[in-house]
Amino acid sequence: MVLVVNGPCDDSGHEDPGHPERPGRSIAARSAIADLHLESDLITVAPRAASRAELLLVHQGNYLDELGAFCYDGGGDIDQDTYATYDSWSIAQHAAGGGLAVIEELRDRNEGVGFVVTRPPGHHALRDRAMGFCLLNNIAVSAAALSHQGERVLIIDWDVHHGNGTQQIFWNDPNVLYVSTHQSPLFPGTGAAGEVGGWQAIDGTVNIPLPLGATGDILQRAFEEVAGPVVEHFGPTWVLVSAGFDGHRADPLAEFELTSGDFSRLTQLVASLAPRPGRLALFLEGGYDLDALRSSIHASLAAVLGVSYTTEPHSHGGPGVDQLLHVRHERRVAVETLRSLEAQEDAP
Amino acid sequence: MTAPRTIAVGYDASPDSESAVLWTFHNAEPHDSVIIVHAIGLLEHLRTTPSHHEMPPRLSELARACGFDERHLHWYVDDGDACSALLRAVAPPINASLLVVGSRGLSHRAGLPLGSTSLEVVQHATIPVVVVPTSYASS
Repeated sequence: MVLVVNGPCDDSGHEDPGHPERPGRSIAARSAIADLHLESDLITVAPRAASRAELLLVHQGNYLDELGAFCYDGGGDIDQDTYATYDSWSIAQHAAGGGLAVIEELRDRNEGVGFVVTRPPGHHALRDRAMGFCLLNNIAVSAAALSHQGERVLIIDWDVHHGNGTQQIFWNDPNVLYVSTHQSPLFPGTGAAGEVGGWQAIDGTVNIPLPLGATGDILQRAFEEVAGPVVEHFGPTWVLVSAGFDGHRADPLAEFELTSGDFSRLTQLVASLAPRPGRLALFLEGGYDLDALRSSIHASLAAVLGVSYTTEPHSHGGPGVDQLLHVRHERRVAVETLRSLEAQEDAP
Repeated sequence: MTAPRTIAVGYDASPDSESAVLWTFHNAEPHDSVIIVHAIGLLEHLRTTPSHHEMPPRLSELARACGFDERHLHWYVDDGDACSALLRAVAPPINASLLVVGSRGLSHRAGLPLGSTSLEVVQHATIPVVVVPTSYASS
């Protein structure tokens, strides 16, 4: 099976000394890909910037103007976590365009798996605001383009932080199903189980908050038992993954206990949700321990491509089983309540 | 007598946010509750000595200096960026009826629309917002 990767895109200009979201992350990701030794099965697509029209599907025009102007003015701190430099606007445009380029290639080939190795990450970026290291919502730009073309897009977000930006952008889009597992409580403070989508997309959001210390077996059960039935009913034509690797036990920004072996199993699981070959793309989100990032990406891609690899054993036995029951209950109550209110609104 | 209010104040240890706290102590009614909201960002996890567990003694000192009853002063930490945390204070468990924020945060440039917590809170809030100028504390 081929791996379709965007880039290489030079993101070295987006750096704030000492900040964990740094160019070394891209280098670690590319190293993980090189270690697969795919040779002719590695397809590298040329980088391209997302156009303004493509960005406007998910971001407000005045926000794009402000961000561009801020960067050209030299950049600086945007909030307590998020920075931009002079080069960040161009790099962010290419990060958002990288997914589009990969999807175009996958569609033409009708085979393979896509991996979008771009930074800064995107899933915290809101329609009108940067936050959580994110400037533009990369995966949302690709999902919105597909939704605009009539596709039904499943976004799986296994980053340890909730993708509040992605959730906000597709809150009322019935053509996009957003599924997130994340540590809770943790930044950004959103992603409760009762957040199930807006009036136009009830049950279009599946949040599975899990306690610190959660292990791979719990995440697998979360996807299979909580998200599985919703995904099956939705019937995606594309599967995009917000692949954050900061749930690894070595990551300094959170407290899940995942191993690189767990990420390989999660990748196989989401690959099984794609309706046919060439309809799965992973987008790099978090992951701030470079060794863990490299080994987790390597194990994930190797597993889905059928390449032999060695990895850390799966983790198991962590907390969260009771939480899964709670999540299912909270979701059911929220969905039934919204549908009941909707029926009352529709009644003559 | 007016009904007691719950006033949520954004605080990030910057001089600017201290101005917001000071304005609140000066203007709160004796029966109002003042909730100091401190947002915990992503980078807070990298700090070896987390700053958020307890209310900084400095705020209690300010309350006493202003004659505000400390029993009505509360510390609340919330995961997220400063803007989102303050906007969520409108909902339970805080149920704020007034938001107070400094005109600039710890890391923001003067006059910059992007990333200005105060501007974004004003744009998105559903309840009244007081924006306290940086110069308030010195005046």
